Amino acid sequence: MTMFHFLNCAILTFGPHAVYYSATPLSIILTSFLQQIRLVCLATFLKVSESDSFDPYQVLFVQSLSGIVESFDWVRRCCGLYFALTQLTHRNISQNHKFQAVGLGWAFADSVLHRLAPLWVGARGLEFTWDFVLQGLEANANLVLCLSLAALGSLIWLRKNKPKTLIPIIYACAGIVATMPSITSYLKRGLGWHFPKVVGFELFTSLVMAFISWQLFTACQRPSN
Amino acid sequence: MFVEPVYSSLITLLIIVVACAELCDAVTVVDVYRLVQYDLGGVPLGSRLAALNHHAGSSLYLSSAGAAADLSRTVLILPVRELNLTFIRDYIGQRKPLGGLLLLLPPVFSPQHSDSGGGADQDSAKDLVKEVLIEVERLLIHANIPYPVYFGFEDEAVHAMLGDVKKNDITGQPATATTGGYKLVAAAPEPRKVASPAIINIQGWLPGLKADGDSNKLPTIAIVASYDTFGAAPALSVGSDSNGSGVVALLEIARLFSILYSNPKTRGRYNLLFVLTSGGPYNYNGTHKWLRSMDQRLRETIDYAICLNSIGSSSNELWLHVSKPPENAYIKQIFEGFSTVSEELGLKVGLKHKKINISNPRESQMLSFICLALRTGYVPICMVAWEHEQFSRLRVTAATLSELSVAPDFLESTGGLSDNRNFINEASISRSVKLVAESLARHIYGQQGKSIDIFADHSSLSINPSYIRSWVEFLSTTPRVAPFLSKNDPLIVALKKELADHTVEVNVQQELLDGMFTFYDSTSGRLHIYQVASVTFDLILLLVLASYLIVLFSFLVILTRGLDDLISLFRRPSSRKVKTA
Repeated sequence: MTMFHFLNCAILTFGPHAVYYSATPLSIILTSFLQQIRLVCLATFLKVSESDSFDPYQVLFVQSLSGIVESFDWVRRCCGLYFALTQLTHRNISQNHKFQAVGLGWAFADSVLHRLAPLWVGARGLEFTWDFVLQGLEANANLVLCLSLAALGSLIWLRKNKPKTLIPIIYACAGIVATMPSITSYLKRGLGWHFPKVVGFELFTSLVMAFISWQLFTACQRPSN
Repeated sequence: MFVEPVYSSLITLLIIVVACAELCDAVTVVDVYRLVQYDLGGVPLGSRLAALNHHAGSSLYLSSAGAAADLSRTVLILPVRELNLTFIRDYIGQRKPLGGLLLLLPPVFSPQHSDSGGGADQDSAKDLVKEVLIEVERLLIHANIPYPVYFGFEDEAVHAMLGDVKKNDITGQPATATTGGYKLVAAAPEPRKVASPAIINIQGWLPGLKADGDSNKLPTIAIVASYDTFGAAPALSVGSDSNGSGVVALLEIARLFSILYSNPKTRGRYNLLFVLTSGGPYNYNGTHKWLRSMDQRLRETIDYAICLNSIGSSSNELWLHVSKPPENAYIKQIFEGFSTVSEELGLKVGLKHKKINISNPRESQMLSFICLALRTGYVPICMVAWEHEQFSRLRVTAATLSELSVAPDFLESTGGLSDNRNFINEASISRSVKLVAESLARHIYGQQGKSIDIFADHSSLSINPSYIRSWVEFLSTTPRVAPFLSKNDPLIVALKKELADHTVEVNVQQELLDGMFTFYDSTSGRLHIYQVASVTFDLILLLVLASYLIVLFSFLVILTRGLDDLISLFRRPSSRKVKTA
């Protein structure tokens, strides 16, 4: 029964990635997946070393400095995505598919590295908690966010002829999406929101941002068509 | 629009999640104490299993499901406060199968709990529960129970869990794998026999003032108290009254006489022997062995022995139990000595005579045991009611001072669950100490009949209440079941050190407990309470997830390849048929 629960949560966490992969023609995903793993690992270890070095200072400037450390999070996400998008030089892939591949690969690698281990250790236990179902929902929201960020990133770096009026909006949306993890951790720790509330917020914002980036993407595609 | 299908399913999931989020509960861990497991003459008694892994049920389940309820995979959780004695008697008497039994005691029975007082109605409630507890304890100790029985204390987490279990049980559904509920897991190792249960007697010798040349001929007075306990839960058997009060009194008397005897001018012409014996509940086995191993010449010098047993309750009446007839001149003298002092203290001391009888067993319920003992080849031993009877069998004059007027039954009043700090009174112990010390001192120094207060208050020889309190507190938090105490146990070391402080020579005697008794370990453990979800919940979740993924898949296919592609996915076999035809 507890393996059953683990299976359910695993399906919820990783199912959408598999479904997305099979539903859209993204055959190049396997090669980019390994790249993403490398980049996510790098980013994770960077984050760890960052927080370690800031520990002695945190005693003095507790909240503000930890906030700054967290905001460096978006820098490394952006850097990671930039490298992923620009380094993906395989064959002729349309931009449409490129950002999807990168976003999906990134989200999947992120989920596997950050969610598989707690899931394996925790969901198989006898005690039932809603935590792992909520974690799965969070993985879904993360997928949507990664896709939107990848789309916006591809707009920023790969599309050269954007309508001038939309550029600030693109950058603003990219900024919001990139700093989403910091916002959620602030909500969790700073405002003390409960996990279900935070997950709900993540789902809602991810859908909103996805819709906005969709609109921006199609708007930027119109002039070139 | 295009976001609707995914959005709506996500929102429904979210609503379910938020609505049910308050059901989640962390793992609760409770300290529990197992019912004693022992063999008496080869007959297995007590709880025979330790490991527990079943669903929780409450007494309400039985009333709703009726007599046909199968509880062999359920742990019944019964608070002692609401216990129905006839139900328990039936269940144990008829040996009905049960997955396990968890009895919840009110916190006042915990050795760690210090009672803050409370009003008269609280006291009467406490006494009612105490009566029920004594009865339950007696039932459980003398029965062979083939499932684990644990004692735990009520607290908020357990209360909440029990409330939930009761709510489920009212509907009459058994808590099994398909309906969820709570699962109780106590991972305890298989109980093993205690290899060599030891009885450890500690004696302290305070020599009297020898006149020139006749050191060995000084008479001796022995003060004896048994320090070990036996109860339904060995890990909770602290026996504050039986016999913690006796031990504390003995130590205080030793302290007072050591002050007197330290100065040769006030040293009496009697040797004093303070003995802390073990094996009390088991027919005063330790006293028996100690007397047998004693040098006969020394034994003959014993003028008389006074045994202390349960003197801590707040009644004003004490009893002096003797084996020799009251008409005996020496017994008369001793009793008069006690009476005089007790009058001065406002206590009442009565004399009770009980003949010791070597041939007949003293309890009818023990007849069957004796028959069994004969069958299995054990030599039937003489059952003694009081500790002084062990002395009397060897023709040593002895008496027992106790608040109990009638001898307790076998394995009763030996420091059970209801015998703890909150039910004794330190003032009674002080009074009893004064009574014994004063009577002894007047006898030793030949001051009988004279109105003299040797251990007067506010003198250097006054009874020290803080000394009594600190020892009562120490003993009330230390379970003392003899087979689980080794020679290096902190309790034994502490008692030995204390006697060494007050006496000149301390001897520790270690013997094996009589072969009639075999004890098993695993006396306490931790109970993990898990809230488990049912299989139906997992199935529903799986269905929801499957439908979500299907919807997501269809949505994405429509989005990227168009609706025709989606339909073509399902129509592929039929279109192939059309092509070949």
